[in-house]
Amino acid sequence: MFLKIRKRYLFYALALASSAIASISAGVDVIAIRKYGEVYEEAPLLYGFSVFLVGFIITLLFCLILSIPYRGRSLGSLLDPAFKHLRFVRREEIAYHLLAGLGNAITTTGYFFVLTVMPDPSAVLPFYQTVILYLLLVEVIAEKNAPTLIEIQSSTIVTFGAILGSLSFKGEIDLSALAIVFLVVNPGWVLLSIYQRKLKLLKMKGEPNDSLNIRFWNILFSLAFMIIIMLILGQFLKKPLLAMGIESSMNFFWLVSIVATLAFFSYIFHIRALGIGKASVTQAVKATTIVFAIPVTFILSLFIPIPFPTTPTLWLTRSIGFILVILGIISFAITQVRAYIFIRAAPGVRVAKLIEEIWKIKGVDSVSAVSGTYDVIARVTTRTLLKGYERIVKRLESIPGIKEFRWNSILKEWENV
Amino acid sequence: MIKAYILVKTRVGKLEKVLQKARELKNVESIAVVTGDCDLIVKVKVRDTEQLLQLTDELQTIDGIRQTTTHVIEKEITL
Repeated sequence: MFLKIRKRYLFYALALASSAIASISAGVDVIAIRKYGEVYEEAPLLYGFSVFLVGFIITLLFCLILSIPYRGRSLGSLLDPAFKHLRFVRREEIAYHLLAGLGNAITTTGYFFVLTVMPDPSAVLPFYQTVILYLLLVEVIAEKNAPTLIEIQSSTIVTFGAILGSLSFKGEIDLSALAIVFLVVNPGWVLLSIYQRKLKLLKMKGEPNDSLNIRFWNILFSLAFMIIIMLILGQFLKKPLLAMGIESSMNFFWLVSIVATLAFFSYIFHIRALGIGKASVTQAVKATTIVFAIPVTFILSLFIPIPFPTTPTLWLTRSIGFILVILGIISFAITQVRAYIFIRAAPGVRVAKLIEEIWKIKGVDSVSAVSGTYDVIARVTTRTLLKGYERIVKRLESIPGIKEFRWNSILKEWENV
Repeated sequence: MIKAYILVKTRVGKLEKVLQKARELKNVESIAVVTGDCDLIVKVKVRDTEQLLQLTDELQTIDGIRQTTTHVIEKEITL
């Protein structure tokens, strides 16, 4: 599929490294929460706070190092070409950062709570993948857009796969953990991912936004939300939660900084992979996190007691769960129809305005003003041809500045990565 | 830096051979086989017009290519 094979390997190496690091970090989380639990009653909350506080310090440190100029550019531009240096948050970003930060604070604390109930990363991580279901629901509600068969199929497969895969080694399913994942962790994650994507698409003075600054400010805003949550809960429980949070962060600084460093690199590799491959494929490769979680659970079981499976049936059931999750994500990621649309503008229409209008249509990956037989060439992606008609062709027809357009479906494609 | 879409029409039966040759060209960002007005859409990224001319020349000398139409990108909004 690609012209230069070596970079394709780089893409897979980066995406796989990102998921491997993510599952190792989940393993360290379990150990850290155990340690917190020995000292404090409110371990998940305090640990969540520490992760953001220490994460802020670590991320600041790395971002400052990456801001060092190197051959006329910054070191960080090797990771994300849009990165120049650490900068202040801009006014147009604040609303998005508030929502993304809230999402991150909610999802992280909820996730740690689940880890205290179920200390087995290989049982908890598959649940994260059911987020596809939520993204689909958001689309259905927000855009009054009926999902296609393949979308329903893959998200059902992923959901049932996740439920099977999360069977504990005793063969039980923890209902309270399940409820937290579906009602707290996943909605928070959706909030985070939607607004993080919006931030990435935001243009800063005509230039693309960079992922390192987004990461840094996201952690800072999440920390702010954590402080508010700690203050409110502290009043409620009549405990100095904030002071306890700071104290615990100091006590366990090195342990938490390992987690923060792992999280930072997992993020960086993920972003770097996104810069090479397509988002959907990257997400599919990221789903392998659940496979990496299995050896992590085994290593963990050397340090903390995790009950081991008693019957082969249990092993089989869990394996089927894992396979379903990965299969569902992959089929979701690769069933797509792509097309080029050639557009002629009506006389007297400003093409610069026209391309901005076309850019607003969902499913348009890129739109270019060109000179030649046509005035505009747009590249679109859609789940099915029917959706392409409903979402893209209908919208194009309603734009008055377009004289005519031609749809050219892509049959096969190579990309130079 | 100049980016351009080159729309290529090929002679019937030559598509696969043209593709193989086109994939070896330098400065090519992507190649798509499409249905519709043309057969191939080649997206290129070159340093200047000189290099663009060189590239289109190379494309046109590939046996099996009937016609090329170059659309230079003036402004692009992309993900």
